[in-house]
Amino acid sequence: MNELLQQILNGLAIGSVYTLVALGLTVVFGILGIAHFAHGSLAMFGGYLTFVFSTSMGLSFFASIALAMPVGAVMGMLIERLAYRPVRDAPHINAFIIALGLTMMLEGGNLLLFGADQVIIQTPYQQVFDFGGIFVAQLRLVVIVTAVSLVAAVTWLLLKTKTGKSVRAVAQNRHAAVLMGVNVNFVSSVVFAISSALGVAAGALIGALLALAPGVGESFAVKGFAVLILGGLGSLPGAILGGLVLGVSESLAAGFLSSAYKDVISFLIMILVLLVMPQGLMGKK
Amino acid sequence: MKQLMSHRWMLSVAVVAVALALPHLFKSPYYIHLMTLALIWVVLAQGQNLTQGFVGYVSIAQAGFMGIGAYISTLLTMKLGVSVWAMLVIAPLLTGVMAIVAGYPSLRVKGHYFSIVTLAYNMVIFIVLMTFSALTGGEAGIPDVPRPSELTIGGHVFSFEGRSNLNFYALALSAAVLATTCCAFVLHSRVGRVMLAIRQNEDLAEAMGVVTSRYKLFAFVMSSILAGLAGSLYAHYIGFLNPEPFGVDQSLNIILAVILGGSGTLSGPIVGAVSVTFLPELLRFADSFRLITYGLILVVATIFLPKGLVPLMATLWRRLRASQPMVAEHKPTSKA
Repeated sequence: MNELLQQILNGLAIGSVYTLVALGLTVVFGILGIAHFAHGSLAMFGGYLTFVFSTSMGLSFFASIALAMPVGAVMGMLIERLAYRPVRDAPHINAFIIALGLTMMLEGGNLLLFGADQVIIQTPYQQVFDFGGIFVAQLRLVVIVTAVSLVAAVTWLLLKTKTGKSVRAVAQNRHAAVLMGVNVNFVSSVVFAISSALGVAAGALIGALLALAPGVGESFAVKGFAVLILGGLGSLPGAILGGLVLGVSESLAAGFLSSAYKDVISFLIMILVLLVMPQGLMGKK
Repeated sequence: MKQLMSHRWMLSVAVVAVALALPHLFKSPYYIHLMTLALIWVVLAQGQNLTQGFVGYVSIAQAGFMGIGAYISTLLTMKLGVSVWAMLVIAPLLTGVMAIVAGYPSLRVKGHYFSIVTLAYNMVIFIVLMTFSALTGGEAGIPDVPRPSELTIGGHVFSFEGRSNLNFYALALSAAVLATTCCAFVLHSRVGRVMLAIRQNEDLAEAMGVVTSRYKLFAFVMSSILAGLAGSLYAHYIGFLNPEPFGVDQSLNIILAVILGGSGTLSGPIVGAVSVTFLPELLRFADSFRLITYGLILVVATIFLPKGLVPLMATLWRRLRASQPMVAEHKPTSKA
């Protein structure tokens, strides 16, 4: 029983990171209809940047993340402006192929700037708490709390601010939003800035919780999309629920079945969900 | 139109003749090796083009299916002693069976989501090839994969041993011709027209009473059969097998080949496959910038050359001919 709770808790920590990645993907998809596959590699770039800030400049973990997030946001805006906007009116496949090209460029850039060695971001949160037989690493709690506050902040931004309102307006009906005077180009930039900043934070958390290495970004992008498919396309609650479901099921699979095949099992769950409910757990029919 | 068709036939025969003559012109074993690989890539890219170019569904699992074909072919020849020649037929068919199982659930989702699901397949295939080392040898791989046995035709003995083997080159060329011919037949059949209709407007095609899922599954399975053939050829050509060439990166390269050549055309994948095989060799000087350069080419090509090299060359050629009034009698066609 304790073992089960332990695994569920571990799953919630990694699941909250999946949620962060998926949230960035879902705002971009919901508003621009782009499957922004390069998101994972951008997140890795952010993770590496956090690592550099904390080791070479001696900044604390959170100060490094806070410094890396705006850099990521600017990169996201540049990507939107230079790569995605020119193909906005072309078939969606083109944007996806551009995303693949961007992934190659970012992965190549990460390799060139930060090398091929695995990197782990050191944090001071090394304590382990004992709650009646269940051991909780402080780092996992920090990851969960950080992810929850970021998700809350973005939700507030989207639901309560005027900018958030225009973002949601474009998501609901692009043409009507344009007619109401919403600046779609500005909204696109904002969406990419938010999404990339979230990605950077997720990359930093991954770097602290697991490790940064070439190829990790791609696998996180795939996980993020798996979450979207699980939760339902373009749905914020779906992204949150889907992330936690994926994290917990993966953690249970690793604990009770086989850790080498945990990714295989989580993808099988995604495919099963597709078979039974193609619209996802929280998606509209 | 008929005349145009016969022109196209002549062009195809000329291309094959040039392909046959090339290794005799460039005697360097290095070029013969690269050209053999390029021909195997033509098979792969023609398969990819069926889903990506004709139906408009970008699958990111082509390298994974190539891997399935390669491993089935290798394991059955080495563990059960099946002949390589038989495996060149059986491995693609078994890969096709796997594709039916994989394609059925994934084709329920559209557009990007189909791509992501196939990407997940490729990752699953890669993880299994890496982890299930009792059978696949894991990362260390399987050495000494056999070449096809000698053929005796009319007293002549054709051996397939040795690097840059001209007989193997001819074998790869026949596979490439076979793949291209199959795709041409599909494209000009009713099935092909339905596929193009799905690409243009799937909802409309469905409303006209077409069961689109069947055609999508057909394209996906046929594409995987070609990937399996390419995988089998590759394994028995290179002679050493590990999971590395069957990762997601390679699937992206195959997509690049189709885009660069011209997706939805028959000659595009050929041009694309040759470019993608030779481009990394040309970009050797770029060394650690290679991945970035590659990605940049993909992005720039999609923005400025969304139709690929072949339609671009066709347009230039037509303009050139249009400036000479003597031969301007052919109506330009949009399909290459």
